Amino acid sequence: MTKSKIGTTEAIMLVLTIIITHTISSLPREILVSTKSATIINLIFVSILAILFSYLIVKLMKNFGGSDIIDISEYLGGKVFKNIIGIIFILYFLVSSSILLRNFCESLRIIHYPMTNIVFILSLFILALCAANRLDFNASLKTNLLIVPLVLASIVFLFFANMNKFVPQRAFPIFGDGLFQTFILGLGNLSAFGGITFLYFLPPYLKEPEKMKKIAFVSIGLSAIYLILCVSTLLFMFSFFINTNEITPLYNATRYIEFGSFFQRLESIFLLIWILAFACYISITSKFAMGIFKKLTNIESKKPLIDIFGLLMLGISLIPKNYAISDKFETEIYPHLVLGITFALGICILLLANFMKRKQKLIANSH
Amino acid sequence: MNKLMRNLFIFLLIIVFIMAFSSSYLSLSMDNLAYALVIGIDKGKDNNLEVSFQFSTASKSTESGSTEKTPTVMDTVTAPSLSTAVNLMDSYMGKELNLSHCKVIIFSEELAEEGISEEIYTLINDTQIRPSANIVVSKCDAKFYMEQTSPELENLISKYYEIFTNSSKYTGFKPDATIGDFFNSIICKTCEPVAILGGISSEKPENQGNNHIQENYNVKSNQTPIEGENGSENIGIAAFKDDKLVGELCALETTAYLAIRNEVNRFLVSIPDPDDSNSYIDIYLSPNGSTSVDVDTATSSPYIKLKAKFVGRIYSMTNNSQYLSPETLETLSLTCNKYLESVFSDYLYKTSKEFRSDINGFGKYALGNFFTSQDYDHYKWSDNYRNAFFQVDIDTSIKSSMLITET
Repeated sequence: MTKSKIGTTEAIMLVLTIIITHTISSLPREILVSTKSATIINLIFVSILAILFSYLIVKLMKNFGGSDIIDISEYLGGKVFKNIIGIIFILYFLVSSSILLRNFCESLRIIHYPMTNIVFILSLFILALCAANRLDFNASLKTNLLIVPLVLASIVFLFFANMNKFVPQRAFPIFGDGLFQTFILGLGNLSAFGGITFLYFLPPYLKEPEKMKKIAFVSIGLSAIYLILCVSTLLFMFSFFINTNEITPLYNATRYIEFGSFFQRLESIFLLIWILAFACYISITSKFAMGIFKKLTNIESKKPLIDIFGLLMLGISLIPKNYAISDKFETEIYPHLVLGITFALGICILLLANFMKRKQKLIANSH
Repeated sequence: MNKLMRNLFIFLLIIVFIMAFSSSYLSLSMDNLAYALVIGIDKGKDNNLEVSFQFSTASKSTESGSTEKTPTVMDTVTAPSLSTAVNLMDSYMGKELNLSHCKVIIFSEELAEEGISEEIYTLINDTQIRPSANIVVSKCDAKFYMEQTSPELENLISKYYEIFTNSSKYTGFKPDATIGDFFNSIICKTCEPVAILGGISSEKPENQGNNHIQENYNVKSNQTPIEGENGSENIGIAAFKDDKLVGELCALETTAYLAIRNEVNRFLVSIPDPDDSNSYIDIYLSPNGSTSVDVDTATSSPYIKLKAKFVGRIYSMTNNSQYLSPETLETLSLTCNKYLESVFSDYLYKTSKEFRSDINGFGKYALGNFFTSQDYDHYKWSDNYRNAFFQVDIDTSIKSSMLITET
């Protein structure tokens, strides 16, 4: 049983995985476009909100011991409601990760494999997913534990290596497009903290569930620092991400790293690290999607699902006809899904379940 | 049986993936690629572009073992666009043109005056072009500039193009203008792009024979008194407004540009000798900290205050020099301040009144004066820069001469 339990550090890295992969794709560009020079202020603002939300989630889940949101849904609305919520989360995990994978593979194809069909590039990731999920439950989480710090280190390196090209004045005008755009419309940037979704599913898997609060705070705090570092690198280096749409903005920043005439073209190392991070990300999201499916159907083992879910992800990632459609999903639909499912639906379920529990307690006490 | 099927499946999978990725691998194989080191873009007839590509061929070794200068090959194609030119060149050479080792992109002055944004956007869109590739605007045809370029001290032309901007750090005579910065500046609302001003040294300058030392700092490409094996020269700046060439800066103005932007480590200036109005003293100056810039946008005429500190050492020496006295050094420092303030002011007013182009990027210092981007946009910095006033404060501290202090 302990083999299927995850430690505190592993859980923190798990939450970070989502933000990392989205940052490698187009997230920093979208944040910059929406809040322009006020991006750093906006990120500090939404980070505080994200920490408050995660605190609220932890506090609300505490009353349900080691249950996840699926169990809580069952408690709240019975089996039908549990199935509905379960399917919503399965679709959310599968669709968001598949489309993100498609976007990343499109970038890889443009940069490195111009003559290779996108199906084969996607299939390599799906194969990695299937292989990783066949291993022990903790295998991909442990790999993630190695990869995430590597990605974090690479972003810190990217920031410092490009520092000589920074124009810090680009953080002005301080309020970007205005207070309303920064603090009201900018609330949409809360979607960057999609990793919070995992907090709903972590309790049953944790070795030390009492450390849930620590996991939430540290992971969201690290996500905020990571995001601010990424966005600052782009904001201070380039004036064009606000007006020009460029694939994988961080990749663009890596191309500027040069140490004399010997250490040049380091972008391939970054891409290699990011490929590993993506492989971990899709194997983890599919693992959680399968976990929910298992819970809904009461099947004994997840193993028969691995290939089916892998193929499902491959199929979903091939749905967009071109990059424009998959990019539209990632930049326009995905943020609403995060806000709707993670922040609205999840918290509503928890609030109602807590309300119901309190009511039942009151009734029990009155009897 | 199960194991056999699994191994067979894995084997088939490997074969399929090898086949799928081999096409990408083969397309990037060195045997199939021709690496262009330099691209020269001229204005052709009937709205066409004349695009020249310079390639390096394999070097030959002599019997004595020494390596000869690597010959270069240059091909030119006339096409309506850069991408068509590349395509035609692929077909002509039987190899795919690869720009990942392209070090320099040269535009002719004629084309740059009409605007080069289309070419810049196309090049930036190419995954192979490095953002560190330099941009040169040639006073002559880009093709002629390429033909004339023959590095004297390097066997490999690629090596020459990789290091030819290094001297900007210790002469201040040319900027290290790259395509990445150029693209950034075209889109930027607070600055304007620049390029290296290139030319050929075969044309004798009009003022040759005039031994006035100051003239040597007022030169730019095509006008220098240099004669050598390398026919091309790169001195000065080609200033742009948006994507159009609007003017040129000489060597001394380029030094001012680089000093204001903190992009020069040391440079030589000739200041008038306080004791003899007919002679000049050469001083090696190094920036002492970053240049401070303050922009006041209270009115539609931006008021730009600039403070720069330098430390200097006297470089020129005559048989009657007395550089050990504090009074002499103080007098020289004051003269140097006055001289540099005049040079910097003249240069800044030239960018403002003549070019109407904020190539120094002072706009970024104005950003802090506004609360929102809309406020900044309403101020119309790019238009108002022509009304700018400048106040330049230079604080030079001349420490001593070099090895000899008194003669």
